[in-house]
Amino acid sequence: MRPTHPTLPAFIRHAAGLALAAFLVPAHAADWPQWRGPKRNGISEEKGWLDQWPASGPTIAWKAKVGLGPSSFVVGGGRVFTLGHADGKDTVFCFEATTGKSIWKHSYAAELGDKFFEGGTTGTPTLDGDRLYVLSRWGDAFCFEAASGKIVWNVNVQKQTGIRVPDWGFTGAPLVLGGRLILNVGESGVALDKATGAVVWKSADKNSGYSTPLPVELDGRTLVLLGSSQSYLAVNPDDGKEAWRVRWVTEYGVNAADPIVSGGRMFLSTGYGKGAALFKLAAGEPEEVWKVRAMRTQLNAAVLHEGHLYGVDGDTTSIASLKCLEFATGAEKWAHKDFRTGALSLADGKLIAISGTGTLLIAPASPDGFKPTATAKILDGKCWAAPVLANGLIYCRTTGGDVAVIDVRKK
Amino acid sequence: MPLDRRSFLRTSVIAGAALTAAPYIRAAAPSRKFRTALIGSGWWGKNILKEAMASGRCQAVALADVDATALEVAADQVNGLSGDTPKIYKDYRELLAREKPDIAIIATPDHWHALNTIAALEAGAHVFVEKPTGHTVNESRAMLKAARASGRVAQIGLHRRIGPHHVSGMKFLKSGAVGEVGMVRLFAHGGGDVEKPSPNETPPDGMDWNFWCGPAPLRPFNKRIHPGGWRNYLDYANGQLGDWGVHWLDQVLWWSGESYPRRIFCAGGRPVRGAAVLNDKEQTSDSPDHQVATYEFEKFTCVWEHRRFADNNSEKHKIGAYFYGTKGVLHIGWRDGWTFYPAAKSGKIQHENAQLQEPDGHNIALLWADFMEAIDQRRAPIAGIELAHRATVLPLLGMVSWRVGRSIAWDAATEQITGDPEANQLLSRPYRAPWVYPGA
Repeated sequence: MRPTHPTLPAFIRHAAGLALAAFLVPAHAADWPQWRGPKRNGISEEKGWLDQWPASGPTIAWKAKVGLGPSSFVVGGGRVFTLGHADGKDTVFCFEATTGKSIWKHSYAAELGDKFFEGGTTGTPTLDGDRLYVLSRWGDAFCFEAASGKIVWNVNVQKQTGIRVPDWGFTGAPLVLGGRLILNVGESGVALDKATGAVVWKSADKNSGYSTPLPVELDGRTLVLLGSSQSYLAVNPDDGKEAWRVRWVTEYGVNAADPIVSGGRMFLSTGYGKGAALFKLAAGEPEEVWKVRAMRTQLNAAVLHEGHLYGVDGDTTSIASLKCLEFATGAEKWAHKDFRTGALSLADGKLIAISGTGTLLIAPASPDGFKPTATAKILDGKCWAAPVLANGLIYCRTTGGDVAVIDVRKK
Repeated sequence: MPLDRRSFLRTSVIAGAALTAAPYIRAAAPSRKFRTALIGSGWWGKNILKEAMASGRCQAVALADVDATALEVAADQVNGLSGDTPKIYKDYRELLAREKPDIAIIATPDHWHALNTIAALEAGAHVFVEKPTGHTVNESRAMLKAARASGRVAQIGLHRRIGPHHVSGMKFLKSGAVGEVGMVRLFAHGGGDVEKPSPNETPPDGMDWNFWCGPAPLRPFNKRIHPGGWRNYLDYANGQLGDWGVHWLDQVLWWSGESYPRRIFCAGGRPVRGAAVLNDKEQTSDSPDHQVATYEFEKFTCVWEHRRFADNNSEKHKIGAYFYGTKGVLHIGWRDGWTFYPAAKSGKIQHENAQLQEPDGHNIALLWADFMEAIDQRRAPIAGIELAHRATVLPLLGMVSWRVGRSIAWDAATEQITGDPEANQLLSRPYRAPWVYPGA
């Protein structure tokens, strides 16, 4: 191979004939179109991104302010979307993913909803091809053209169905499944026609929980798992009929963390001292395999990787720890103390974790211990939203609405 | 009575042994812990119960709540902390009859305090009840009478009687460092805006809403009331004055040694939150969004102010008490500790930090330790019902004056409002059948 000019930036050497945006992405780049990523498991397929940075810290690609709320990000088609609240309005933001340039935004009237926290938007949008779906805490559901922000349809699900709003408002992100939009509204969900917003089926007027509907394949059929205020339950997405439920009572009805299903087993975990349990999903009602207190995920679900769960144990009001538990047994492998109620995602066998106070940490996901390869304080304030890695950029925010986007593209 | 004497003797023996025993024996739990019950198993009740368990002197044996889900959560949390499985009851009367607890913690909403407390005392329990004592003045009087008759210890959750910066601030104040104090201003300010009505709902599964309302009017269920929001519904509590006011007015009684003011006038309303709404479909809260109450004591004047709008960024402090003396202003606050602002320009600002239990910023552990010691030593507790009764009467008189829209004169000896039968009638309120207002 002919040596190249030493002063030429590395990327130029590989750039011949490619558009700039195309060669800056990692070897295996991926969008993050929905809550907890493409496979709804908190894992990105992305590889070849920087898991270390110089002592001076990582490169900040861009910053923004989006208003109050712990809403997460979705990324696709070169755009990134999130929500925030300010001055009696929620706003849906669409930015250019790599630069943070505003592409469009849409605001609608909404209450702050500052019950025992600062308030603001709690849900996350869902991207489905050229459509973006949003459900507000108070039931306003939107379908936007993702590229332009033009409203395709807009209904208030609470008013349409008469179903009550739970104490902290509807929080689960919309799930697109076939032609339906399934929402965690009511005791066991509501389905809308994704093309029109018309109600297809609805459930009883009881408090929903705060999880995002999770589609799973069990014995050749698709079920959707939802956290309600007193249970986790499985429904048939075609008609909303309940298949089974596990009674799961958490203080204030905060069944927020999504279930994790793997190998015919379902892991549940919630906060307020409740703990975690593993269930065997059989033909009838699920059967408890084990139950421990060592993992109490109040806000975000854990991430399962190679037989081990990585998640946050503790509440926003406690000194929460980042922990590793063995999926099969519930045995605690390690605890990283004083992580607070931060959140994490995973890519290429590495944890991408943000502490509850804004320190970003990259560490191999291993039951042997938590050994970060990179650490940087990137935000000031409470960080409840999991870092989102998409196309070599990590999107992070505070509940106060400060967004920081970290560039981990190899150059 | 026999049960109590037995437990008293046993704990005395243990306490005696501990003095000579090696430290590891003292660290071990006493052979018999106080059988402790919780009535009202929500957030705050569980906080108190956790302190009781953490003291190593108490075993949580039973929990009561009219919300089956709250009970299930509380029992699970107790199990997580201690491994014990407390018995659960919907009806506190059944709990008291069957469990005969040594100690009852009462952390129901204000409108239940009197009936719960009197029943617990009559069942032979020592009682730790949250402030305020009563929801109306004559409930508080009935509680006091029942406590005196029972011979049991009744501690009220006025943890600011024992909080370290309150103790040292009070010492500073009484030392004369602030000079002659002629006026006190008490306040609790925050932000807020217009209040939109919230839809009424059927109560959640497992919640006996009729029982929750109990002796108070039966409002339609609304999640703004339960859990947590009832303080701003006057059927069940007395708003900010009945909540924060008790703490700070108690500090004034503590400092002054006075038993009561002689005249009270209170004004306030809801100009910002808007008129209270209550219909079949929806409701708002109905407590005033601001109130100003003037308490005329013999030797000084005390003013209470609260605002639930505008916040208070024009001043250094948002909550607490200003004692205005000839030598300067002493602020005793919450998380901001106490600070003395001298009148003399050459003077130096003095300050002491708060020492609180977080995340909730209280000193319940200290208050619980005092409760234990008061039971052991058969002495009055530091925030006993005698003083807490008077601390409660003050905000309640403010509420009476606010309701009738005129100043009221208070006769400390008879605990009656003089010359105003209409106002005097508001020292009690009708109970909803079958509940009967406790007789003083």
